Amino acid sequence: MNLGTIFLSALLVENVVLMRFLALCSYIGMTSDLGQSTGMGFAVAFVTVLATAATWPIYHFILVPLGISFLQILVFILVIAALVQLVEFYLKKNVPGLYLAMGIYLPLITTNCAILAVTFDNISKGYNFIEALVYAVGVSGGYLLAMVLLAGIRQRIKNSPIPKFLQGTPILFVATGLITVAFMGFAGMIK
Amino acid sequence: MKRLLNILLRGIITENPLLMLMIGLCSALAVTTTVANGIGMGLAMTFVNVFAELVISLFRKLIPNDARIPIFIIVIAAFTTIVDLSMKAYFPALSKSMGVFIPLIVVNCIIMGRVEAFAYKQPPLDAIFDGIGMGLGYTWVLVGIAAVRELLGAGTVAGIQIMPSSFQPILFFTFPPGGFIVFALFISLNIWLNKLKTAGAAAREAA
Amino acid sequence: MKKDILRLGITLALFAAGACVALAFVYTITGPKIAGLESEQLSASLKDLFPDADSFPAIEPALTASDTGVVLEKAYKALRGTEVLGVAIKAIGKSYGGAASMLIGVRSDRHIAGARVLTLSDTPGLGANAVNPAYFVNKSSKTTFIGQFTNKAVSDPFVVKQDVIAISASTITSKSLTNILKKASDAGVAWLDANATGGVQ
Repeated sequence: MNLGTIFLSALLVENVVLMRFLALCSYIGMTSDLGQSTGMGFAVAFVTVLATAATWPIYHFILVPLGISFLQILVFILVIAALVQLVEFYLKKNVPGLYLAMGIYLPLITTNCAILAVTFDNISKGYNFIEALVYAVGVSGGYLLAMVLLAGIRQRIKNSPIPKFLQGTPILFVATGLITVAFMGFAGMIK
Repeated sequence: MKRLLNILLRGIITENPLLMLMIGLCSALAVTTTVANGIGMGLAMTFVNVFAELVISLFRKLIPNDARIPIFIIVIAAFTTIVDLSMKAYFPALSKSMGVFIPLIVVNCIIMGRVEAFAYKQPPLDAIFDGIGMGLGYTWVLVGIAAVRELLGAGTVAGIQIMPSSFQPILFFTFPPGGFIVFALFISLNIWLNKLKTAGAAAREAA
Repeated sequence: MKKDILRLGITLALFAAGACVALAFVYTITGPKIAGLESEQLSASLKDLFPDADSFPAIEPALTASDTGVVLEKAYKALRGTEVLGVAIKAIGKSYGGAASMLIGVRSDRHIAGARVLTLSDTPGLGANAVNPAYFVNKSSKTTFIGQFTNKAVSDPFVVKQDVIAISASTITSKSLTNILKKASDAGVAWLDANATGGVQ
């Protein structure tokens, strides 16, 4: 089970948004602008990798040895919340432009189910530290990919005739469904 | 009493979290391949929602505003863990089939949203009814989507064969694309029903 | 200012402590039940592989596989009275979507009694078909992926696409599970050779 397979599988075959239905709120909410979706994609990638780097050791070297693995949900989500706070402070001080542009969506990264799911997957799949990091990068790439794809499509939708009953949100989900059909084609890619 | 009933109905219909407010979507599409999963997820989420809203409402005077988000997280995470452990112990098959989505209840935007917007400012009894209402609203949409997906994708509803045996299951509906498309149709249906309702109300006003 | 932060910190700590206490309490009730379920599943699987056996004492020390990627977590002798019917091994190895664990039974006649997949997190519709009772690698005989190993001689090559039929479009899963099975069976035969000469048909 080499690292390349883990990465490609996370990026395409089991794409976090399109195949696993995670991070949908931000997917629908933040793809109206291509710049916004790219920014969000990178922010989520950053937090996901950091969260993996933090939660994996905490689980294996603290929770398990002390027999308190039942605190996994509590500890992991608090770690993510703390990381997002730190990112917020850092951006506010050093990159105020981005901080203002992201607005309310920055703290909302905490509730991004993809990030928490990655931290859980690392444990349930029995990955070692390196594999976990590669997986985190792959999933983040998959998220960025899905965000950018939908943002691009939404630009086109603005100028296309849409049947009345699909206008607004429904057409976004139909479009997503169609992209997903394409992604299902990746299934046989990794043999 | 009427007030409490209104709170309940609001979550179920007028401010339905999935169809109107469009939050808490992730789990709604992932676990709706079968009706059993849909009911299980709905009940699990309702449990966490009701108790989280109750506890936050009970302690609302003691929770300082600046530290409220971490405290909300702690309370929601605690109840999510309780549901997770209980399901693993007493409903292992269901727990396995829902996988990571039970622990993911902790980041369900609906619960976070209600706790912040409602439970933090309202008395406990109201909070309980809001929790139940939002939970029921979430559950019925989940079961609805699941019923369509299971019926068309496997010919069964809740494991009971409904379609005649000559029916060829359309596997498309159990796959992710099918989920997205069915959800799109549900939203579309809901928008149309709301248009009818406002048109009807306007007509009554004009009359 | 400092007093405020202190107050915030203490309130936070109190809630966290309360949550931990509540969870520890729930865990003391559910923890044993969850562990109990696992051992029930294991006993049921052991009985399933060796229906004639009446006891399954553990083998100590644990066996080792020739492949370091396959961990033989536990091994059990299948006994009918004092007669050794075979050995059952719980093996863990890497599959496509992470760790996979299997229970493999090797009969004293050096053939596989059967195999069960205990945990697998591979792709639904592809690798996960290894645990799908309705997915057949041989449609005419209705044999599942795991079912094809029953009664197979341990001395066979165990090569996917030669003597092992793969799950379509899931060669990695098929290879990983076959590898775990082969390594565990080899270790099982090695134990039988060393500890239980002769064989019962």
